[in-house]
Amino acid sequence: VKITGYRSEVYLMKMDRAVGDANLPEGVDLLPGSILYLETDENITGISLGFGGGAVKMLFPAIEGADPREAAGLWIRMNDWLHKAGNRGEGNAALSAIDIALWDLKAKIAGQPVWRLLGARQGRVKAYASGLDYCLSDEELFAFYRRMAEQGIDSGKLKVGLDLKVDLRRLGLMREALSIASARPQLMIDSNEYWSPKQAVRYIRQLEERFDLLWVEEPARRWDYDGLRLVSQQVSAAVATAENVNSLADVYPLIANQAVDVLNVSALHSGVTGCRQIANMAHAYDLPVSMMNCQANFMAQLAAALPNHTMMEVVDPGREHCLKFSSRIEAGHIELGNAPGFGIEVDETRLAALQANPPVGKGRFPFPRREGAGRYLVPPAQGEVPWKRGRDPQP
Amino acid sequence: VKITGVATRSFPAAAGCMVALQSDEGISGVGVSRRDPHGDLERFVDEVLVGEDPRAVTGLWQRMLTASARGVSGGLESEVLAVLDVALWDLKAKSHDEPLWKTLGGTRPRVKAHAGDCPSAASDADLVRWYGTFVRDYGITGAKLRASQDRDADLRRIEMMQRLLEAHTAEPVLMIDADERWSPKESVGRMRELEERFDLTWVEAPAARWDFLGHKRVSNGIRSAVCAGGRLDTLGSFLPHLHHHALDVVQIDTGRMGITAALQVADAAYGFELPVALCASPGNFDAHLAAVLPYCMSMEILDPVPIQGTFTTDVRIQEGWAVAGDRPGNGLASAA
Repeated sequence: VKITGYRSEVYLMKMDRAVGDANLPEGVDLLPGSILYLETDENITGISLGFGGGAVKMLFPAIEGADPREAAGLWIRMNDWLHKAGNRGEGNAALSAIDIALWDLKAKIAGQPVWRLLGARQGRVKAYASGLDYCLSDEELFAFYRRMAEQGIDSGKLKVGLDLKVDLRRLGLMREALSIASARPQLMIDSNEYWSPKQAVRYIRQLEERFDLLWVEEPARRWDYDGLRLVSQQVSAAVATAENVNSLADVYPLIANQAVDVLNVSALHSGVTGCRQIANMAHAYDLPVSMMNCQANFMAQLAAALPNHTMMEVVDPGREHCLKFSSRIEAGHIELGNAPGFGIEVDETRLAALQANPPVGKGRFPFPRREGAGRYLVPPAQGEVPWKRGRDPQP
Repeated sequence: VKITGVATRSFPAAAGCMVALQSDEGISGVGVSRRDPHGDLERFVDEVLVGEDPRAVTGLWQRMLTASARGVSGGLESEVLAVLDVALWDLKAKSHDEPLWKTLGGTRPRVKAHAGDCPSAASDADLVRWYGTFVRDYGITGAKLRASQDRDADLRRIEMMQRLLEAHTAEPVLMIDADERWSPKESVGRMRELEERFDLTWVEAPAARWDFLGHKRVSNGIRSAVCAGGRLDTLGSFLPHLHHHALDVVQIDTGRMGITAALQVADAAYGFELPVALCASPGNFDAHLAAVLPYCMSMEILDPVPIQGTFTTDVRIQEGWAVAGDRPGNGLASAA
């Protein structure tokens, strides 16, 4: 089997609801989407979802004519290709997208789902609910976690960071919503690098007076291993981080300096190959990894095969309008089924319709950092979020 | 595909044993261990592997580790778990009808090869024959000498080894194997003396296998790299060495680690930007694995071809490289 060409489609999607965090509490409902198709001489096409975009053109010569079953070796070739440019930014996005399409091809050639190709015993991954919910009202927040709990999910992660009182109230709401799935739901929070390390310690300790937190995500900046370690040493919760570093090389200082207790990994961690490298290094340190949310939860295929994988983030905001897939949530787990490859197909008609008539909504590309971050809190202004409507004279 | 049972065949001549995992589809996966499996292999396989799909190699490795730690069938030694893992990967590759290097995702099934230790009791004449064969017949450009109690003999023998290699290359790669017989300070002293006359690529096992502080002391005290890890048998046992930067070259023995854990260690080493070296393997089948390791430096060869009448391999040693073939699986097969 030989790789003969590629096609890259970009489009804009409007989600069924908005998502937001401490950096953009009012939220967005538009997301850029990208689909990479790797074509072969045997009429099998590899698909990857993500943010591949334009840089694929730069990397494609590294894999043209190669056998896609050699995916891990081709990862090295692409990584070498990017030596001076660095495996970062657009180059990383393209490398990740190509690597995933290669594993999709490799699995399709073997006639197996990716989880089986990677050596998992079951196509099944424990899920936790993540609302990306700073933009949701209290009612919407409760409804989201209750809907997840009804599917057996017993763990949730709340966006926090700007208003301690509100965060305490909403943690209680999340716990109550999840309590139908477990008497002791596992609670996590995520401040998306909004705090300085000591600010994080103060804030988290106050939350911990009332709540037992499983992990706090990105309580300090992505590269600040001293700050992250300080937080880990001074709070009860585990520190989760790494979503914004993209390769083993960048994760290394976090692990080697004991700055992280749970590693958040994703397709953007240099694809399936790069993500597995990170998981294996973490495994040597007896650290768990957690797969981040993605369209159709396709990266659960890799998560199923990682011996140190804990739970995968499930958001489910409606990002699959032009996709067909067979995975589903059942009894608190992502069930992957036996479709070959990642089990994703593209509804080309709907994709073309989206491209012809791009949806209108709220979008911010790229996603910004909020004023005050790392220095002082800037709570949402009146009307910025539904949970702070102001003194609206309601009848 | 389902595993149905296990069979073994000993090779008294080669001090080895072939372990074959059978499946319901007629194919069997094989691995070769350096000695007969200890413990109740059949019962362990019955309880832990029979009925499982061999393609689930990563999951089954975890299952075997857990079962063995819990003492199923008295628990198996790591070398037995390792050969079962090798056999599982062989089955997985055969079920794909492709060579193991391709199943693992490798692009170029070749790896730099170096000659392993000449058996230490050998005379100078044996030594010339041993390394001479590697150089003449296999184009080997790197070789390792096991250090002895006789320091003058070692100096003489390294020079002989160097001369033999120089017939084939201007840049011979010379290595010393301390084989855990020196204390760290002794290693520093011996190596400094050798380094006055020779440019040595690495010293192997210059401290006890678990002594990461010792390895680090040696590395800080000499010019050559410290290469160790070949006697470790779990991912976790590499952790102190990696974390404390005790090694310069991470050595892996698939005979103790299997393939699954070897891949995990290699990724961890890659995180530290450390090259990996592979210990000699039966039929040199590790060439399949080497093709996929991100930072593989060299693979040790003891037998360029397996002893007649035991088993065969599809890995050839040529022009200083070990090259894996295209036979489905790991290329090992019982000799007729």
